[in-house]
Amino acid sequence: MSESIVQYYPRSRTRAIKAFLGQFLGHGGARLGLLCLVFFVAVAAVPTFLVGPLQTAINATGDFLMPPSGEHLLGTDEVGRDVLNLVVHGARISLVIALLATVISLVVGTTIGMTAGYYGGRVDVWLMRLTDFFFVMPSFVLALVITPVVLEVMGRGGEILGFRPSLFVIIVVIGMTSWAFVARIVRSQTLSLKERTFIDRARVVGSSNSSIMVRHILPNLVPQIAANGALVVAGAIYVETSLSFLGLGDPLQPSWGTLLSLAQRAGAASAGAWWYLAAPGVCVLSVSLSFVLIGNALDDTFNPRRRVIP
Amino acid sequence: MSGGGAGRHIGRILIRAIVTILMVAVLNFILFRVIPGDPAALLLGGARTSVTAEQMEAQRQNWGLDRPLFPDQMVDYLTATLQGDFGYSFKFRGRHVAELILERLPATVVLVGLAQFVAILCGVMLGLYAGWRRGGAIDHIVTGASLALYSTPSFWLGMLLVVTFSTALGWLPGYGAYSPGATIGSLDSLLDHLRHLALPVTAVALGLIGQYVVVARAAMSDVVTEDYMVTARAKGLTNGQMLVRHAFRNAMLPVVTLITLNLGYVVAGAITVEAVFAWPGIGGLTVEALNARDYPVLQGIFLLLGASIVVANLIADLAYGLLDPRVRQ
Repeated sequence: MSESIVQYYPRSRTRAIKAFLGQFLGHGGARLGLLCLVFFVAVAAVPTFLVGPLQTAINATGDFLMPPSGEHLLGTDEVGRDVLNLVVHGARISLVIALLATVISLVVGTTIGMTAGYYGGRVDVWLMRLTDFFFVMPSFVLALVITPVVLEVMGRGGEILGFRPSLFVIIVVIGMTSWAFVARIVRSQTLSLKERTFIDRARVVGSSNSSIMVRHILPNLVPQIAANGALVVAGAIYVETSLSFLGLGDPLQPSWGTLLSLAQRAGAASAGAWWYLAAPGVCVLSVSLSFVLIGNALDDTFNPRRRVIP
Repeated sequence: MSGGGAGRHIGRILIRAIVTILMVAVLNFILFRVIPGDPAALLLGGARTSVTAEQMEAQRQNWGLDRPLFPDQMVDYLTATLQGDFGYSFKFRGRHVAELILERLPATVVLVGLAQFVAILCGVMLGLYAGWRRGGAIDHIVTGASLALYSTPSFWLGMLLVVTFSTALGWLPGYGAYSPGATIGSLDSLLDHLRHLALPVTAVALGLIGQYVVVARAAMSDVVTEDYMVTARAKGLTNGQMLVRHAFRNAMLPVVTLITLNLGYVVAGAITVEAVFAWPGIGGLTVEALNARDYPVLQGIFLLLGASIVVANLIADLAYGLLDPRVRQ
């Protein structure tokens, strides 16, 4: 590896991006995942335009638990709401929860991992001990006990930043319990980056520690963060769906998991109402799988060791 | 390799495990103190049960709630927890949490144990085979299917199984662990129990198979590109000999570790599956506790899950040390 003379041409950056896109999109899985995600994001962007306002028991348009028909493409639920309407509105809630939780998790994980790796010594030991705890305990198990307590403290009324309190709590709890994986990867990457010459140069010109971390180390971490971020989203969707399924979601802003929970409580499975439980589940599966495929493709593209092996 | 190094390695692992369990208990302690209301009243079942003032005062002293939070109360809490005193349930009329959990534990152990067995048998074999024949038709099918299974919540698979095999076809029961009115202990009831187990076990196992295939395939893919495999081929070993003597054993190392580490996720996944099938295990208890906001029970379950995860990690760490001497250094 010769990195003594690296000249910077803006052109080589566009070429690098092109090369990256070429390699990334060369994965069939990545194309499929992206296509699927674009579809769901588009649906989540304009749910009211597509299927009208979210139906409730009051403005429900159909009969109880009707199978799919021309009028209700995905059938109706136990109070006569159109399942398509619920699923489309659920897309926005599920995606927003998963993405915001991921943002929190990436910010926390990157900060802790980078700080631990950069400063080393005692800071590293203590931060990594904390990370170990969150690495060992699954986010779902932690969220299962933290979420109801926090909800009890905050109350379930009102809205926070446009979310019902239970959703807000779920976002924060998932974000704060799923960062350990990211922190570990970022730390090990930081450990190798800080030994490179360009960091020494930055220090010689008098850059402060924080400026070195933000301006020189962070940009080099982006590939790892992106590849793992996609997997964190998939994990967040899983945790959110499971928590909501156990009844910690909010019926007034139903995510896909909440819909599955409602279907379970209404006895949809034993009533044979397959459409009611199939629709939200297929959505969870598709979105989660898309993120896994994209994450794998990113990992493949960025991981030079893997590139050698066909 | 000196014996002292191995001893220190085991010591470090043990300390880490103890610290993690302590952190779980401390988190429990903090969470319980954060809930609004008098902790004594909460511990005795909140406003939902009738408690006399004397009982309250006795418990207040018993738990040391008249003393400072830190360190006195915390030390007391940790000591009580160590002795298996997890407090009393709100919902189940003040019964001991430990007793409730122990009562529900066997059903979960049976469910998770059987599902693990099926998943390991199918998932690891399929994954190793896919990794061995990488790029083949079977590899593509198996990998695609397992990625899809990996992304599917297992409780949803359970709901689909109920709709298909229980409601539509009527082959298998989709609710509970026994048929109503069965006399437990007879051969008939055992068969009945197995029929009730079929769908939940399938649901949990299918979720796991996805993961195990992915892990086993990756492990095998790493192994087949190693130098010693080339050497083995150069020595003139047949495919079968290479697979059994070299590839299988080396690929199993990461697989065994991951299966052990995975235990926490398996139990957590089983919670939601149990909720679908009204399975009378820890998952069913979790759902009841969540709905009734029965915090002592929830925290007892959290402690149990935490402890089992830590023990699983401990076993994985120690086993890895035994299997791979490089780790001990």
